[in-house]
Amino acid sequence: MSFEMWAEKYRPKKLDDMVNQKEIVERLKSFVKSRNVPHCIFAGPPGTGKTTAALCLARDLYGEAYRDHVMELNASDERGIDVVRETVKTFARARAMGDIPFKVMILDEADNMTGDAQQALRRTMERYTETCRFIMCANYSGKIIEPIQSRCAPFRFTFLPREEHDKYLKCIAEKENVKLLEDGFDAIFEVCSGDLRKAINTLQAAASLDKPVDAKVVYSITGRAHPADVQKMIEVAMSGNFLEARKQLRDMIQKYGVAGSDIIRQIHTEIFRTSIPEPWKIKLADVVGEIDYRLVEGADEEVQLSALLARLVEASSKLGKSS
Amino acid sequence: MYAAWTVKHKPKSLSEIVGNKEALQKLIEWVQSWEKGIPKKRAAFLYGTPGVGKTVTAETLANDFKMEFVEKNASDYRTEEAINRFAGLASQYGSLFGGKRIILLDELDGLTGTADRGGVKAITDIVKNAQSPIVLIANNPYDPRFTTLRSHCLLIEFKKPPAGEVAKHLKRICEAEGIQAEENALKFIAQRSEGDIRSALNDLQALAQGKKSLTYDDVSWLGYRDRQETIFNVLRMIIYGKTSIGAKQAVGMADVDNDMLFEWIYENAPIHLTDPHDLAMAMDALSMADVYRGRIRSTQDWSLMRYVIDYMTAGVAMARQNTKTSGWIPFKFPERIQMLSRSKSERAMKLSIGRKIKRKCHISAVRASKEFLPYIRIIFKNNVEMAAGLSRWLDLDSEMVEYIAGSEEKAEEIAKLLS
Repeated sequence: MSFEMWAEKYRPKKLDDMVNQKEIVERLKSFVKSRNVPHCIFAGPPGTGKTTAALCLARDLYGEAYRDHVMELNASDERGIDVVRETVKTFARARAMGDIPFKVMILDEADNMTGDAQQALRRTMERYTETCRFIMCANYSGKIIEPIQSRCAPFRFTFLPREEHDKYLKCIAEKENVKLLEDGFDAIFEVCSGDLRKAINTLQAAASLDKPVDAKVVYSITGRAHPADVQKMIEVAMSGNFLEARKQLRDMIQKYGVAGSDIIRQIHTEIFRTSIPEPWKIKLADVVGEIDYRLVEGADEEVQLSALLARLVEASSKLGKSS
Repeated sequence: MYAAWTVKHKPKSLSEIVGNKEALQKLIEWVQSWEKGIPKKRAAFLYGTPGVGKTVTAETLANDFKMEFVEKNASDYRTEEAINRFAGLASQYGSLFGGKRIILLDELDGLTGTADRGGVKAITDIVKNAQSPIVLIANNPYDPRFTTLRSHCLLIEFKKPPAGEVAKHLKRICEAEGIQAEENALKFIAQRSEGDIRSALNDLQALAQGKKSLTYDDVSWLGYRDRQETIFNVLRMIIYGKTSIGAKQAVGMADVDNDMLFEWIYENAPIHLTDPHDLAMAMDALSMADVYRGRIRSTQDWSLMRYVIDYMTAGVAMARQNTKTSGWIPFKFPERIQMLSRSKSERAMKLSIGRKIKRKCHISAVRASKEFLPYIRIIFKNNVEMAAGLSRWLDLDSEMVEYIAGSEEKAEEIAKLLS
């Protein structure tokens, strides 16, 4: 067993190694062949290979010394306008060395850039196209301003289908001598729903227990990694106790760092499992959908999700009256 | 049901009044002088800043001297006509039941504008002919309107009591309420209040009610508070607002920035809106305010702030339809802010580990601390060998290892493998 994060160790190095997003990979390969790359947006959910594709493209393009020609910047950590004005611009305008006349700037988590940073970026992209091409990775392309979108070739990444997901995990398990059982695969897929990074992290954490990885092990791992007892929180809200439900939500987000998008996905699943009258379920799903949309647009996960909890409290009180 | 501590713990006797010993002495001598006949100054004019104990002094004075207490405030003497209605009370010495009587005219500052001019004149006439002691109270006796009236009164200034005395008073109340309070916590509240005992007491109640103990950490955030228009008043204007305009105006009175005000409203609105429909509407308004904050962040168009304010003030105020007002509910400091400041060092640690992961795993430090750290933690708990390997690979320092491992022993085991 090796002592690295497997998610990194088994990250594909070349476009040829990438197991999924076939169409995207084919197009990227044609860029390598023609030795020309347009500005790109890689959009899609986490763990679907956006950063990997960008790194593979860079490596195929420049060879092992790719680091001399590529800069990686993470917008979540450096999202302000100053970074664009200084770091990005300095890199973008310097002439490229070697036979490819441009360098590549990978802007990861670009949807976290502020609006004015994006505006500044747009000018930089325009001015230094000759010397620098941008690859922007983002979960939501909608959070990238229109003028940048129109300058980029869009690529849509999707969750891995089940077979490829399993194939990949199986390969890692074999190399690391982990016994991954059939229901272990099922459990990982259910919990991670195609997010490969999460799946590999789960597998590695499960492997640290030194026993065969079955569903039970997987659930115990994810339970501890994400102690989001969404079901219980919904019950508390439906019993009318908003303040307690909000407190549980607050703990999930602040203490355990559970992502809002994960919580809302689970709420959505749970709603169809609860014993409320059938016609109510679709009404609530509509509310969940609206809040999900606001979550993307809004600034604060707890505020949005607690608005949803308040709607659950309201629904349950009406339920009590009508039944 | 809550009772306001300013009422519950009101002094019953002059000896319980905080500070102002000189003023009390002067007042007592003046009341006693009535025993020997009507003194030259038939009214005592107590003045001083709000919350220093003027009204309660008049009340306890009546109590100590077993006098009948007649209290009127501004609304009772807005016009000459209104005043003449109770003028008779003052014109005779002693009450119907043979006891003595003291008349208090409170909040003289409340008389404003030309319509009330006659009011001050009528009061002056009453004072001139009074057969019982009259106590007048105002914040500012040097208002030109009071010039003539003043000349007929014994002026007694109430000064702001020193913070030490206020703190002592707070301590007595804490003892009565069974609260263990840290000395410096009470001192902090006292100092913040700048001699306004009433506001100090309100603060204490909001912070300490229902608790067993009160620490300096519990109160230090009061530093955010504005003396002129406390955040509590602002919240009241918003959560109990009857008009959109009124709720919106509250923003200008708060001494906190809009984000902080949002936190206050977000924390407290659900506590004060118990009807599920009202609650849902208020939270929906806050959610929309937050959506506009998100839009500001992504567009950097700060003019959108006006919609944030609309939703978080008027939106919340208008949500109130079915909730009944029930007693006194305290306002709470936003818990999220407290949690944030408490977990600051922990977040710094998480972020510095995130940076280590970032260097290896092509992910932002922020997301690394969310997406990798929980799993790494599990590995550290279960498998010392893997933990040591990862520590080396990520180049974690011993502090980080101990934080992730969660215990010293585990950290030592891992360290042994590393050396």
